[in-house]
Amino acid sequence: MGLSNFVIKYRWYIIIVTLVLVLLGIIPLTKIRVNPDLESYLPQTMPSIQNNKKIGEYFGNDELLLIIFQTEDVLNEKTLNRIRKITDTLSIMPQFGRVYSLFQGKDIRSEEGSMVVDPVVQRIPDNEDDREALRDAIRKNDLVYKVVVSEDFKYALIILSSDKTVNDDHLMQLIHETLQKYPGDEEIYINGSPFLRDEASKKIGRDIMLLLPIGLLVMFLILYFSFRELRSVLLPFFVVLFSIVISMALIPVFGWEFSLIGVIIPVMMLAIANNYGVYYAARYQDLRASQPDLEASELAKQVSGYLVTPVTLCGLTTIVGILGLVAHLFRPARQMGIVSAIGISFALLVSLLFIPAVLSLLKKGRIHKDLQDGSKGFIPSLTERAGEGITRHPKRIVGIFILFMAFCSAGLFFFKTAPDSNDVLPQSHSFNKAINIMDNSFGGSKMFNVMFQGDVKDPALLACLDKYEQELKKVPGVGTVTSLSSIIRKISKTLNDSTDAGYDHIPDSREGVAQYLELYSMSGDPQDLEQFVDFDYTSTLLTVQFKAETIGEIRSLLAKIEGMAREDSLEPVIGGYTLTDVDINESVEKGQYYSLLVAFVAIFILLSLIFKSFQAGLIGSIPLAFAVFCTFGLMGWLGKELDIVTALISSISIGLGVDFTIHVFWRIKWELAHGNNYGRSIKATLKTIGRGIVINASSVMLGFAVLSLSAFPLIRSFALLIILSLFLCLVCALVLIPAICYWTRPKFLEK
Amino acid sequence: MKLLLKSLFTGLLLLSGTPGLFGQSAAEISSKSREVVDLGTMQMDFTIYIRDSRGSERVRQLTMISRIFNDVNKTLVRFTAPSDVQGTTLLIFDNKDTEDDMWIYMPALKKVRRIISSERGKSFMGTEFTNADMSKPNQADFNYSLLGTADHEGKACWKVQSEGKDQTINKANGFSRTISYIDKANYLCYKVEYYDLSGNLQRILTSHDYKNVTANKYFSYRTVMENVQNKRVSEMVINKIDTGTKFQEDIFSPNALQQ
Repeated sequence: MGLSNFVIKYRWYIIIVTLVLVLLGIIPLTKIRVNPDLESYLPQTMPSIQNNKKIGEYFGNDELLLIIFQTEDVLNEKTLNRIRKITDTLSIMPQFGRVYSLFQGKDIRSEEGSMVVDPVVQRIPDNEDDREALRDAIRKNDLVYKVVVSEDFKYALIILSSDKTVNDDHLMQLIHETLQKYPGDEEIYINGSPFLRDEASKKIGRDIMLLLPIGLLVMFLILYFSFRELRSVLLPFFVVLFSIVISMALIPVFGWEFSLIGVIIPVMMLAIANNYGVYYAARYQDLRASQPDLEASELAKQVSGYLVTPVTLCGLTTIVGILGLVAHLFRPARQMGIVSAIGISFALLVSLLFIPAVLSLLKKGRIHKDLQDGSKGFIPSLTERAGEGITRHPKRIVGIFILFMAFCSAGLFFFKTAPDSNDVLPQSHSFNKAINIMDNSFGGSKMFNVMFQGDVKDPALLACLDKYEQELKKVPGVGTVTSLSSIIRKISKTLNDSTDAGYDHIPDSREGVAQYLELYSMSGDPQDLEQFVDFDYTSTLLTVQFKAETIGEIRSLLAKIEGMAREDSLEPVIGGYTLTDVDINESVEKGQYYSLLVAFVAIFILLSLIFKSFQAGLIGSIPLAFAVFCTFGLMGWLGKELDIVTALISSISIGLGVDFTIHVFWRIKWELAHGNNYGRSIKATLKTIGRGIVINASSVMLGFAVLSLSAFPLIRSFALLIILSLFLCLVCALVLIPAICYWTRPKFLEK
Repeated sequence: MKLLLKSLFTGLLLLSGTPGLFGQSAAEISSKSREVVDLGTMQMDFTIYIRDSRGSERVRQLTMISRIFNDVNKTLVRFTAPSDVQGTTLLIFDNKDTEDDMWIYMPALKKVRRIISSERGKSFMGTEFTNADMSKPNQADFNYSLLGTADHEGKACWKVQSEGKDQTINKANGFSRTISYIDKANYLCYKVEYYDLSGNLQRILTSHDYKNVTANKYFSYRTVMENVQNKRVSEMVINKIDTGTKFQEDIFSPNALQQ
């Protein structure tokens, strides 16, 4: 019994099982949890995760939040009053561990033989003379100057440390409420991981609520204008809806969380899942027009019998390509690969079983005679002319493609991977503006923490820290390097006169260091010291604040620290959130290669099996290689970076793009088998199946175009690049593949 | 910095008070509590244990002598252990109406340095005690109220709350209110709960091992301050108290620190 008979025989079962499955899928949808924290998806074995955990054991796992105030002069009375009130309010909130602003800053100095410890701002100045005196005092104080006040006094910072266990939304609400409680004219910018996660989380929700209805509407309209019949619109439309429900439901079913790149999943279903249903709708209308007397069940059976093989092959290749993502190192990419592949498999099954089952039960639709003639219109004339050109100048066409590829290849020199995940939010967003301010007016927005273990009071260890500090300060882009050695030197400046040997010097004895530290813990807040040294004085932290435009700059600084570490026997632990960025970057980059390789190999094997020829695998892989290569090259030219989202493009475009090639091979082979020569076969192929491929590709590209409305620049870039990549696959399948076939006359087509 | 170690014990009692009970006002109860533990001139050897949330411990041994000269309470605190800070000495003049004077002698530096600090409400020597805890509070800065009576380890106590009169006072002291448990029978304070500036319980001080030092004068030989928020505990254990020696004023001079 063929599939078509099976479908007719068990149609009610098929319909009921499908609907029950979809209804069951709705239940877990309510349990989807959004997790925008990219770091949480990294494998626990990653160096940054391991090292940050180790550093956290000694120095806590608090996260930093920055509130930046921008005004002409932050020392004006109004601004200082506002900062003081906000600092006071936030500092009594238990959700914030440490609050540091100009008002917490201490002025520790040597004055007429005394060590003086005062708050930096003892009184908010109300006249110009006092203001300038305060400005001078701040300039001389490296505990606050360029730390919480910028060099030009246009920016002031409140630095907050927040407990990771507190909900991001709650933290941000507290900050926003406090800022509103004390309004002012200053521009406010906020930065920090809790803020990024909170903003991303809100935007993920917004994206789903906006993109999905728009996408469904677009799909509905495309289907309506293509078929102008409700049944032909609704059946593929339901396949899309069903596959979205199933793929999204799998996320909580598998115990996973919805990440930022999860936004792509429903839109991808929207773009891909309708394909198979569209073939059924189109074939049904064709048969209805050509054989008007056929019964509904017979129509359904014939449609099913005709389409089972090509639709299954197309579905399989797409699934295999997307499963390439399973080889990705980044967990959300792997999860996306799995749920999308299952979602597409479901769409394929529903198209193969549910659609003909429903069609067999429906009354016969009206006849669309106008749809029968496919030889008129822009697309047919374009594909027809392409066929003419290919058969006339195959070598010239291959040459043009090679030239284009060479041009794109040059762009690979400018191809970059993203140094961080800042592009999650738009450049105009407060988060990114704050980063620019930190880079341009403070020590930088990036941070490495280096933990040293040993006897922290040992002058030799402190001398080593001092060496790290001095060396790292020389690296371009490094803003500030702070460690216990700088604190000891600062204390030495307040306890010694500038003419003394001990001035700006680490004491020569362990006792000297111990006494300095004891004095510091007596005269200040122990929290100040505990940022740099643990309770037992066995671990100490050196922090490097810097700015970097590229991952290369970050890696170079990391290599410098690692190089210094190899020269001594201290074996420091390197961590910090920038190391996490480096790990995310590496996992994106390597994951890209792995998933690309897996997708290529799988598609090569599949093509070779389908056409029983390695040559088919090789030639069929050309459009994919061309599209991937050119997309990366064009990314270089366009300045688009490889990031957590754009790294998904190649697997998805390979999975989708290979369909076009299969259709072209299949049709040329069919034409050749029917006695046509290569020239006529290629022209006929482009004239017939060429139109279908163009319409199919256009609907997929239009589906992905919905992503250009996303709130995330990363996803907007993805939309542009996936459309570009699919377009390249399309052109390659319709022009380059026929040209190569015409030129090389591969044997597998003639079998 | 109004650092006056011995007043830790008396100062804590001053925070307590009651608006009239059996004819006694809060001020009277506080005053009696203070009198009960006010030893006047004394020399004391004590150990400070500072423990973090993971159980790591720092131990400091100190010797302190104190005496009032012309209304200025002069205190000398010398580290006797650990060895790396041994000999480090602090001299504090707790002036009545002006900022405190403070000098430090560090043996490694071999010189005396004056420290001028306006910081208050901060940690005392890295412990969970604050400098404000060590100072004599100004009774006029607080409102007192009796919350009732409570049993503390079998002893009937007054449960007395004191609240700072304004935010400035609260901020200076590092707490918004305290609740003290004062023995009805002998005015000894056994426990003080400190609430942070947002009103949450932050620290709990318990006084143990009260001993009769001289006639009608008592002293707690073990005082524990537990920070319930950061899970740190600091403990002061008195090893020896001597109230008989009358120290000469010249030993309380910056020049004498190096000797």
